[in-house]
Amino acid sequence: MSSQLLSANHAAALATTLAARANRKGKGFVSGVYPITPSTECMEYLCNQKIEKGRVVRVESEHSAMGVCIGGAAAGARSFTATSSNGLAYMVENCIAAANLRLPVVMVVANRTLGPPWNIWADQGDALLLRDAGLIQFYCASNQEVFDTVLSAFRLAEDGRVMMPVMVNMEGFILSHNVAPVEIPQQGLVDDFLPLTDIPHRLETVPHTLGQVELPHQNECHRFQHHTAMLAAAAIYDDIRAQFEPIFGRALQGALVPYRCDDAETLIVSMGTMGITAERVVDDMRAAGARVGSLRLRLFRPLPVDAIRAVFAGKKRIAILDRNIGLGLGGVLWSDTRALADPGAVVQNYLTGLGGGDVRPEHIAKIVADIAAREISGAPMLMEAV
Amino acid sequence: MQAKTTMDHADLIPDLPLEVRVHGRGGQGGVTCAKLIAGLFSQLGLHVQTFGDYGSERAGAPVQAYARIDRAPIRNANKVYRPGHLLVLDEALLGPHILEGVEPGALLLLNTPQPLAHFAGRFDRYRFAVLDATAIAREHGIGSASVVIINTTILGAYARILGLPLKVLDEAYAHLGLASDLPAAEAAFATVEIAEPRETAPAAPTPHAAPPPVMPILQHRADTPASLKTGNWSSQIPAYVESPAPCNHACPAGNDVVGFVQALAKGDSAKAAALLFETQPLPSVCGRVCPAPCMNACNRAAFDGAVNIRSLERLVGDSATATPTREDVLHPQHIAVVGGGPAGLSAAYQLARAGHLATIYEAGPQLGGVLATGIPAFRLPPEMLQRDLERILALGIKARLSTPIRKADLATLTKDHDGVVVAVGFGASKSLGIAGENLGNVEQGLAFLARVKEMPEILSGTVIVVGGGNTAIDCARTALRCGADKVKLVYRRAKKDMPAIAEEIAEAEREGVMVMAHRQPIAIHERGALADVVLAEMEAGPADASGRRRPVVTARTATLTASKILLALGQGNEHDLLPAGWSLRGARAYHGEQALPVYFAGDCAEGEGTVTHAIGSGRKAAAAILTRTHAVVLAKDVALPVAPGQIRFDAFPVAAPHADRLIHPAAFAGDFSETNLGLADAAEASRCFSCGHCTLCDTCLISCPEGVIAQRGGHYRVDPEYCKGCGMCVAECPRAGIEMQEKRV
Repeated sequence: MSSQLLSANHAAALATTLAARANRKGKGFVSGVYPITPSTECMEYLCNQKIEKGRVVRVESEHSAMGVCIGGAAAGARSFTATSSNGLAYMVENCIAAANLRLPVVMVVANRTLGPPWNIWADQGDALLLRDAGLIQFYCASNQEVFDTVLSAFRLAEDGRVMMPVMVNMEGFILSHNVAPVEIPQQGLVDDFLPLTDIPHRLETVPHTLGQVELPHQNECHRFQHHTAMLAAAAIYDDIRAQFEPIFGRALQGALVPYRCDDAETLIVSMGTMGITAERVVDDMRAAGARVGSLRLRLFRPLPVDAIRAVFAGKKRIAILDRNIGLGLGGVLWSDTRALADPGAVVQNYLTGLGGGDVRPEHIAKIVADIAAREISGAPMLMEAV
Repeated sequence: MQAKTTMDHADLIPDLPLEVRVHGRGGQGGVTCAKLIAGLFSQLGLHVQTFGDYGSERAGAPVQAYARIDRAPIRNANKVYRPGHLLVLDEALLGPHILEGVEPGALLLLNTPQPLAHFAGRFDRYRFAVLDATAIAREHGIGSASVVIINTTILGAYARILGLPLKVLDEAYAHLGLASDLPAAEAAFATVEIAEPRETAPAAPTPHAAPPPVMPILQHRADTPASLKTGNWSSQIPAYVESPAPCNHACPAGNDVVGFVQALAKGDSAKAAALLFETQPLPSVCGRVCPAPCMNACNRAAFDGAVNIRSLERLVGDSATATPTREDVLHPQHIAVVGGGPAGLSAAYQLARAGHLATIYEAGPQLGGVLATGIPAFRLPPEMLQRDLERILALGIKARLSTPIRKADLATLTKDHDGVVVAVGFGASKSLGIAGENLGNVEQGLAFLARVKEMPEILSGTVIVVGGGNTAIDCARTALRCGADKVKLVYRRAKKDMPAIAEEIAEAEREGVMVMAHRQPIAIHERGALADVVLAEMEAGPADASGRRRPVVTARTATLTASKILLALGQGNEHDLLPAGWSLRGARAYHGEQALPVYFAGDCAEGEGTVTHAIGSGRKAAAAILTRTHAVVLAKDVALPVAPGQIRFDAFPVAAPHADRLIHPAAFAGDFSETNLGLADAAEASRCFSCGHCTLCDTCLISCPEGVIAQRGGHYRVDPEYCKGCGMCVAECPRAGIEMQEKRV
């Protein structure tokens, strides 16, 4: 184990390299890459790594990058790509194909505002395009978390009971370009953690077709199998966490990260780096006597409904922060979780940090003050962060 | 894990948590600088975080980067607004906004060649340090000559300011893989100047609150905030700069070709004439007989055919109603011009336009030199020359005809005038140097042309012309018009090597002249009233000093019988004009070591043998005589012309050149009327690319992705507040009229 100063982009690429090399005695590794700010550095780093049995293919578009991953995974290889924003939008069709074909592709998304007008900074709206498409989604808040989540994403995606793409999200620049110390394990430990990739429906000696025409009832069954497997993934992730810690000597963050929630009256709910800042605010406000807690969702699909409901239980005020906007309704995290609060609780949505706005502790403190003064829930509110 | 010795020094760092802000320029390594600072603190066993504030990602654009250092894990995902340490990598960035959020007592480290004393009073409330990191890094060869990377050097000074021992720096550089940059860091460690804060000094006022205020919830503006001023993203900005057009660059007379052609294209024939008259006293002549180096150089030749510039010049010369004007000078000089050919006329013309008095001394009975006597009327009608001459003389130039100047006269002229231009042209015509050359039916071509121009004569039988220049072609075509049954032109090299104008050769062949290339007469024998000419075949021999392969005579010969043999072999340049004790240096005469105001111009000085060279030479002599300099170097002779590769051909529709209107008489005998009527109108001018000269075509304006180019008052203006420096306008400009220039800070 060594500590290196790495950007989250490079941490994701290094985790992928270790996972790729761990499959050297199996079917190897395939990655299709196409650059887009702010995920470009991840692919640049990956292109410069030595992988004994692997190929990083430079293609002409994101659509083809995922096409390479689909081909690689269909042949049984471990596969990976990274993208952002409109690049992900262009990749969407093949992401859906990878999901429906139940191929365990791991992808990193450096979240960036969809254009035009062009804005290169953080907004989770790009990944949320694929909210309902059958890909598992994680949202990270630190460089170490990105590294650990990418590494375990291969284990989760390739688990025989799961067998579907896993998307690991990090906010563009705020996290993708943040440089911080990351604990990096030796290859041997990664080899111990990751079994060789085994994709049972891969194209091999027995000829068969992937993704052929199917009838309504067949489709119904496939969709429900996929849904059931996804619902089961949260528990499987917890199993993986249990094996992660003894191998690497540190805990892998869970699906939810509650912080000083137990006796809290007011809860700040968020995904991504705003959750880290929220924890600071919680400490400051607790010191001043306020009963505030933070809940950060790392796993958004499958949505850990029961676990969230358990944290929400007894909370009188729940402020849900969204660095995204589902146009015509409100924040996506809010719209998905508001029904999980106790009846009568004030659940208020705050849209903040859109387009990469800098969300400071002062913003979150202001939000807590705002919800404290509310008696009933209102429409989603926008908070400008300059 | 870090070595324990380094860990101990964490105690040396006061005031944690610490926030650091770095201001630099894209490419300077500012983001890496913040990363190195984080690396240094990480070595000390502290928790760190560092990130850049990304926007333009362009070289030269202002960049900010941040670092946070703490004993506890860092739980911040926002930018730094109140830095305890501020590093400024480029002194030019040191505006008031730089100090936003910086409290008195904070550290300010500046990269500057100036000493601490230079900033006295400006930053007294801060812990202020200066270092010439650029010089140190350059000295140690870090980065390239143009982009010096200073971050590893700065870090040395920063370690010193922190109070870290040099040993810690050494260990950190070894760990960060920067051992090769350590000497520069150590130099910075040794030379950084540090001033402690003075409590009494006033803090610098900052224009904005830092951090910006938190907005009230849901009270956001109905309209969007002010736009991003993208102008500071760039280090370059487009500039509309004229570059030399190849035609202008090639014109020996120095004409503003692209200028007058573009004036014609815009329908402004008066401006076209005025531009030509600046340099060209003989447009009607040159518009007919010039070999047109401009057309050889024309960038359109590489596309769909050169612009027919020669005939456009003729159009201007023949139709101009305005006349050149004369300036007034307080003390006009009196200059004698010896020789009334094109060089002398050009010199006198420029002197007169500048307000001086010029007197031409011409040996012959008329002005024009070879233009009057050596170019046949069917190519240059005498009234056309006359029109140009009248325009020149209207400037008040005196002409003394039939006044040859001899050696003794030159000294007198020099004494009686403020200056003398000698432009007497070439000397005697060259001869073949073979047996039979003095027979009665062998004649020099120029003498033949002059005689026929006075009084047409009757020829018959076969006429042989020897030579490949324009005089040879003129002789051949004149012989046809004098009634010769056959005209054969004998040339010692290949047809493609003939120096005559290509169109003239083609016309001669169309009229029936037979070109016999690779032939040379080696003897002429009398045969009654006729002559037998022995022609030898020629072969390319060894290369001569100029690299050209000299033709050599072979043993293969044939004999032709001719009624007349015309020699057009060029002229020598031997003159015996200089009085005793005089010498020529360059084109200027000296008496012993004393420079005289006597300048030689035209063929007697340069021997280029074209009207256009003579005109340019005469103009330079006039300029030299007025400034008393040795030679005049024109700006266009120095800069490189716009190359075809700089022209965007796909911006222009393919359009064949407008050809001259040619007349092909059925019978030539006795008909000396002009065969080339030139162009009917100036439509050809619209084919000009206008290389390197903006035509206000609006391509740049339309191509600008930011819409920040506007046209006002016949100029484009690029808004520097919003131009991102993308260079799209430069890439799209059809004619190389714009270039990117480095912004000055």
